[in-house]
Amino acid sequence: MATPAFSFTPSTFQKLHPAEFFRRFTTEGVRPDGRLLDAFRPTTVHHGVISTANGSAMVRIGGTTVVCGVKAEVAEPKLDAPDQGYLVPNVELSPMCSSKFRPGPPSEQAQAVSEAINRVLKESKVLDLKDLCIEEGKAVWVLYVDAVCVAYDGNIFDAALAAIMAALKNVRIRKPTYQEGTIKVSGGSTATDENSFRLNLARAPLSATFAIFDTTLTILADPNVTEETISDGQISITLDETGQLCGVTKIGAASCSQSVMKDCVQSAKKRTLQLRGIMNQQ
Amino acid sequence: MSRLDRTRTSAHQLRPFFSSQNLLNRADGSAQFDFGESSVMCSVVGPAEVKLRDEKLDRATIEVVVRPLVGLPGIKDKAREQALRETLEPLVLSGLHPRTGIQIVVQTMKDDGSILATAFNATILALLDAGIPLKSILGAVTCIVDAETNQILLDPTTQELANAKSTHTFVFDNKSSITSDSTQEDKEAVEVSTLYSDSTGLFSEEEYFECAQICYKAVQAVHGFIRTAVQKKLEKEQQQIHS
Amino acid sequence: MASITTEEESKLLIVLPGDQLPESGLMEDSSAAHRLTLGPGLAPMDDDSITAVKAGILKHNAVGNRWWVESNQRRYVAAQGESIIGVVTGKSVEHYKVDIGASQPALLGVLAFEGATKRNKPNHNIGDLLYCRVSMANKDMEAELECMNPTTGKADGFGELKGGFVIKISLGLARRLLDPKNLVLRLLGQHIPFEMAVGTNGKVWVNSANAQHTILICNAIRNSEYLNSAECSAMVKSLVEKM
Repeated sequence: MATPAFSFTPSTFQKLHPAEFFRRFTTEGVRPDGRLLDAFRPTTVHHGVISTANGSAMVRIGGTTVVCGVKAEVAEPKLDAPDQGYLVPNVELSPMCSSKFRPGPPSEQAQAVSEAINRVLKESKVLDLKDLCIEEGKAVWVLYVDAVCVAYDGNIFDAALAAIMAALKNVRIRKPTYQEGTIKVSGGSTATDENSFRLNLARAPLSATFAIFDTTLTILADPNVTEETISDGQISITLDETGQLCGVTKIGAASCSQSVMKDCVQSAKKRTLQLRGIMNQQ
Repeated sequence: MSRLDRTRTSAHQLRPFFSSQNLLNRADGSAQFDFGESSVMCSVVGPAEVKLRDEKLDRATIEVVVRPLVGLPGIKDKAREQALRETLEPLVLSGLHPRTGIQIVVQTMKDDGSILATAFNATILALLDAGIPLKSILGAVTCIVDAETNQILLDPTTQELANAKSTHTFVFDNKSSITSDSTQEDKEAVEVSTLYSDSTGLFSEEEYFECAQICYKAVQAVHGFIRTAVQKKLEKEQQQIHS
Repeated sequence: MASITTEEESKLLIVLPGDQLPESGLMEDSSAAHRLTLGPGLAPMDDDSITAVKAGILKHNAVGNRWWVESNQRRYVAAQGESIIGVVTGKSVEHYKVDIGASQPALLGVLAFEGATKRNKPNHNIGDLLYCRVSMANKDMEAELECMNPTTGKADGFGELKGGFVIKISLGLARRLLDPKNLVLRLLGQHIPFEMAVGTNGKVWVNSANAQHTILICNAIRNSEYLNSAECSAMVKSLVEKM
C-alpha cells in the first residue's frame, strides 16, 4: 500500500543516473531511441552539393550531418616525393554543429579523427598520388579535403569517412594546359570528359563504428551523442569493396575478447555493403 | 628469411628492452622504456591540484601530453594522447583520488619505429613508479605484415615500417595471462582480450587475428620485463632492511 | 604466489597491479578464521578477487590475518593519525592553510595547539614549519591537522620547528628513517650531534650546531636510499672525512 518515497519521471531519472537509465534498455536488447543494439541509423548520401568545389558530398547518419568539399590546387611537390601530389584531409568540429565544441583551435577529438582518416587514405593506398603529378619536381595537384560537420549526433568517424569517399569519387579536375613554361588551368566552360579528369580511386574504404558500454561490454552500433557520452570505449572497423580490412581500432573500456571483435567485423561487413548501395544509388 | 633489421634473425624476435625508473627528481614518477633504438620517456605528476574547470567530482582527471622527437606537436601526437588517455582511464583507480589531476607527459627521445607501443610501456612504468593505484599493468607491442614476403614481423624498425602492407599495435593487460604450464604449447591459440588495438593498411581478417595472437605472446615478455624492472628497484630500496 | 613472506625471509614477494592474492575466493566464507583485513595496496575487485593495486612487496601479519603491499612513492596521500611536516601557506580567522605535499593544502585550526584559547593562541606566519598530526583525512575533502596529542591534549613534540633545514624524500625512505635501527642515522650520530623530525609525508627536518653539518646530514640521508649496509657505511665515512 505504501507508495515509494521517491519516484522519478523517466527524463529526471535519465539526468540523475544516465548509465543506469541506459542499462534498463540494453538489458532488454533495445536503446532509448528505439533501435536494436546492432542497428545503424538511417543514412543518406548526396553528391555534388557544392558547385564551386572540384568535388563534394553530404552524408547524414541519423542526426549527424557532414558536408565534404574537395578543392584542387596547383602547388610545388614535397621535396621527398617530387613526382607525387598530396591530399590534405581535415575534419572540422565547430560550435556550429554542437554546443559541446568550443570556439578556438581544433579539439583533440577533431584532430584524432582527422589523423585517423588521414591514415586510412594513406595506408590503404586509396589514390595513387603519382596520378596527381603535373610536371615532376615543378607542379603537382594538392587536394584539400575538408569535411565540415554541420550537425553532431555521434559517430563522426563513419560520417566523415563516407562523406570524404563520396566527395573524392565526385571530384572533377580541369586538365592543365602548358603555355611557355607556365601552367594554366581554365575555369570558363563547363567541365567535360575531354577537358577534365576524375580521380582514379583504387578503393573506397568505408567504416562502421560501435560503442562499448558498461562492464558487460555491451556493443552498440552507430552510437548517437548520448550513447557516446556514457559509453567507455569504441570499436571502428574499416573495409573496402572487396571485403579487405583497411582499419581496425579498439580504444577505451576494459579488454575485449576476439569473439567481440569478430562480431563487429561481421556487422561492419553488412553495414558497409549497405552503405555502398546507398552511395551508388545517387 | 632475413629481416631488413639485420640485428635480428627471427620474424618474431623483439628488439632488446631497456628501462629506467625514477630518473626525474621533480616528477612524482618517471620512467624510460626502449625497444632497441626507439626510446620514450614518461613523467607522471599526481594526484595533484587540478584546474576547477577540469575537476571531476568523483574521479581524478587524467591528462596526457605527447611531445614528438622534433618540432611542435601535431595531429599525430594528439591522436596518441587520445589513445593513451582512453586506454589508461579504465585502468587507473581514479575513484580513490577525486577532484585531483594526474598529468602524464610523454616525450620521444629516439625514434626507430613502434613509438606508440614504446610510449605505452614507458607510461605504465612511470605510473608504477609514481604509486598511482592501477587495476592491472599493460604491455604493448607493434607488428607488421611485410609487403613483399607477407610475413608477420614483430617490433618493426622505421625501415621495416616503410615496407609494410599493414601495421598493427596491440596493448594487453596482465589479467588474462598464460600460466607457466602452457609455454611449450605456443602453437595453441589462446582467446586473447585486447585493451587497445590499432591496425591500418590492407589486411585480411585472418591476418588481423593472427597478429593479435603473435603480439599477445610477445607482450608476455614485456610484462615479465616490467616485473623484473620493478623487482630490481624494490630490492635496491629494501637492501638495508634485509641485508 | 602461495608462500607468505615475513620480515625475516630473504625472498621478497613482489606484486604488481593485477596480481591476485592467493586466498581469493575465501571472501564468501564468513567464518572468523577466514576473515581478511586489507591494508594499503590491496583492493577487492568486481570479480570478488583481491588484487594488488600498487607495485610493492606483499606483506602479511598472522595476527588478524592482515595483508598489505609495501610500496614506495613520492606524492603524499593524507591518512589519519600520521605525523607530518607542513609549511604554512595561508592564514585565515579559523584555520591555517598548510602545504603537506598532498594534492590539496591541509587545514590546521588556530586553536589546535596545547592549551590554546581565543585569547592565548600561538601566532604562526606564512613560511613557518610545523610538525603536526593528521586528525582527519578522506579522499573527498582537504585533510585536517592538529598540533597536539588528541587524547592528552599535550603538545608531545608537535608544533613549530625553528631553524634547521627540510629536505623532500620518498615516502618509503621516510618510513625507514623512523626505524630505531636505521643505519645511516646511527652512523651519523656517532660523528655529529643533531636533532631530526621525520614526517611520513616525505619531509625530513634536520638541525645541528652549524649549517655545514646540517647539509652533510641531509645529503647522507638522501644518498642512503638505494645503498646496502656496506655501501652506506662507506658513504657516511667519506662524507665525514671531508668535513
